[in-house]
Amino acid sequence: MITKTIMCPHCKNKVTIQGNPGEKTYIICPKCNTKGVFTFPEEKSELKTTTTSFTIEVDGLTKIYKDVTAVNDLSFNIRTGEIFGLLGPNGAGKTTAIKAILSLIHVNSGKIKINGFDIKKDGIEARKSVGYLPERVAFYDNLTPLQTLNFFCELRGDDKSVAKPLISEVGLEEAIDRKVGTFSKGMVQLLGVAQVMIGNPPVYILDEPMAGLDARWVKTIREKIKMLNEQGATVLFSSHILTEVENLCDRVAIIDKGKLIAEDTVANLNKYLKIKPRLEISIPGLNGKIPEEIKGLKGVEAVDAKDDTLFVTCESSVRSRVIATLEEAGLKIDNIKTIEPSLEEAFVKLISQDKGGA
Amino acid sequence: MAGINPKAIYTIAKKEFMDNIRNKWIIVMTIIFIILAIASSYLAGRQAGGGEIFGGMEDTVVALMSIYTLLIPLIAILLGFSTIAGEAETGALYVVLSYPVKRVEVLLGKFLGLGSALAVTPLIGFGLSGVVIAATVGAEEGVAFLAFIALAIILGLMYLSLIICISALCKTRVRAIAGGIILFFWAMIYGMIVMAIYYATGGDFMKLMTGEGTYPDWLWSSVVFSPGDLNQMAVMQAFGLKQAMGISIEAPDWMSMNLLLVVQLVWIIVPLILAYFFFKRRDI
Repeated sequence: MITKTIMCPHCKNKVTIQGNPGEKTYIICPKCNTKGVFTFPEEKSELKTTTTSFTIEVDGLTKIYKDVTAVNDLSFNIRTGEIFGLLGPNGAGKTTAIKAILSLIHVNSGKIKINGFDIKKDGIEARKSVGYLPERVAFYDNLTPLQTLNFFCELRGDDKSVAKPLISEVGLEEAIDRKVGTFSKGMVQLLGVAQVMIGNPPVYILDEPMAGLDARWVKTIREKIKMLNEQGATVLFSSHILTEVENLCDRVAIIDKGKLIAEDTVANLNKYLKIKPRLEISIPGLNGKIPEEIKGLKGVEAVDAKDDTLFVTCESSVRSRVIATLEEAGLKIDNIKTIEPSLEEAFVKLISQDKGGA
Repeated sequence: MAGINPKAIYTIAKKEFMDNIRNKWIIVMTIIFIILAIASSYLAGRQAGGGEIFGGMEDTVVALMSIYTLLIPLIAILLGFSTIAGEAETGALYVVLSYPVKRVEVLLGKFLGLGSALAVTPLIGFGLSGVVIAATVGAEEGVAFLAFIALAIILGLMYLSLIICISALCKTRVRAIAGGIILFFWAMIYGMIVMAIYYATGGDFMKLMTGEGTYPDWLWSSVVFSPGDLNQMAVMQAFGLKQAMGISIEAPDWMSMNLLLVVQLVWIIVPLILAYFFFKRRDI
């Protein structure tokens, strides 16, 4: 989602609009009522989609625990330099897939490669380039954060001088001499984030990094993930917080009952799921009443009104007709916002389709 | 083994040592060992009469004999039971194994690090009392006393190897500690089983006590299945003791110190190999 501030060519009034790269949006200047169409530029996503090398390749992964199939013939590829979200309801197989990628579990079948190294044959080489933050991170109660990071620096064969700056970077400098056993969950998670950054690995695997944390820690971790990606790192990010995945990830894979049910960008998922965007139209004096003219309009899926805002779910091609119909009905439009379908809507639709199909 | 990185083993061993040396059990047990050793020496001195406050090193070791074979295994079990099962449960092991290390390196590092932390207790506890005895009574049996400390460490390593094996096998910390409890009581249960067989096959315990009878060879051989008894035998040989708690226990010639040491080494190595076997196949 891109946010742009544009200037009305007639009255020079500034209007802020939101939309996806390549999307056209209909604008009415709230000051002088001048109408126009703005096309959002194709952004860096264009650059990313042209990258064809894969950092993580998962092919036909199957893991069966006794009589439960945790992951069933799962395949996906993660492009170099992207943030890839792994989504799924509880018990979908996200953590199992991540553990398999790191060779923490023995799989029944399938091939996994990290940076071209087969995790089974060249596990050491493959793991050299990975920083991993597990869902349940824990360290050693009797060690200080500095001793903990020094240990992991040595284990990676990295210079121990990076430990102190990393502790400061995650905001734990005041607790540098305290034992980790006295830390809160959030502090342990932040130490986990510092641990992950040791040696500046090109690949990060983060399993529910924000689970159970308050807003302050979530913000810190989100910023760190963005920063790492901006520095060129590839990130595999598993989360049940859909808005976080939506805000952070370039592409997502949705898995349910161990199976891949979708893999694409959020925008594309919505496109092929035919989840329509929603218009939020400000009409002074509407008072929660839905205009009759709009109800039967072809291409309009749903209409709702609250106070002075009219909500219209419709296909993009019908938008201009909706505006025109409202104007013809004598309604004064103050502002129009296009709300793109959220990942949550796509996720719910996919999971319910999967359940229906099962 | 080919492809093993000694630096990774050292790094893990150092971390285990640093983490566990601050373990409250280690600190408490070291203090208990110091008190016990000095108290045993004092009691041995009182029993022997004469003008010395403390007893000699041999008398001290005899007084400590039944206690150290209980306490050292207890420390080993407390240190090692959660090292794999517990860390897999909390998640600490996930992070370590996501680094470029092999499971064999992690296992060996854990054994060496925990073993070093465990060695601190007899080294300080018995060592300090040895210094006190040497300063007050004399150090005639100094070498044997040093051998006793080394054997106490070996006893700890045998139990450590066994509990690491149990920890690698068990899915949860609770199961691992249950395994540890069984291991701890094994020495007592095993001793009772052996004596029951001895009685059932016509053995006379009274004759053994008075020195009129001798242990049959199979009874001597049965010692190899009990790390504690094995270790006690080695300590007695180090001091040349032929009696313990009034019972004559003159070992046959074939039960040499070398044999006892080799069997103890087997008790360390075999459970470690099994631990590797379980750990390698384990889903973390």
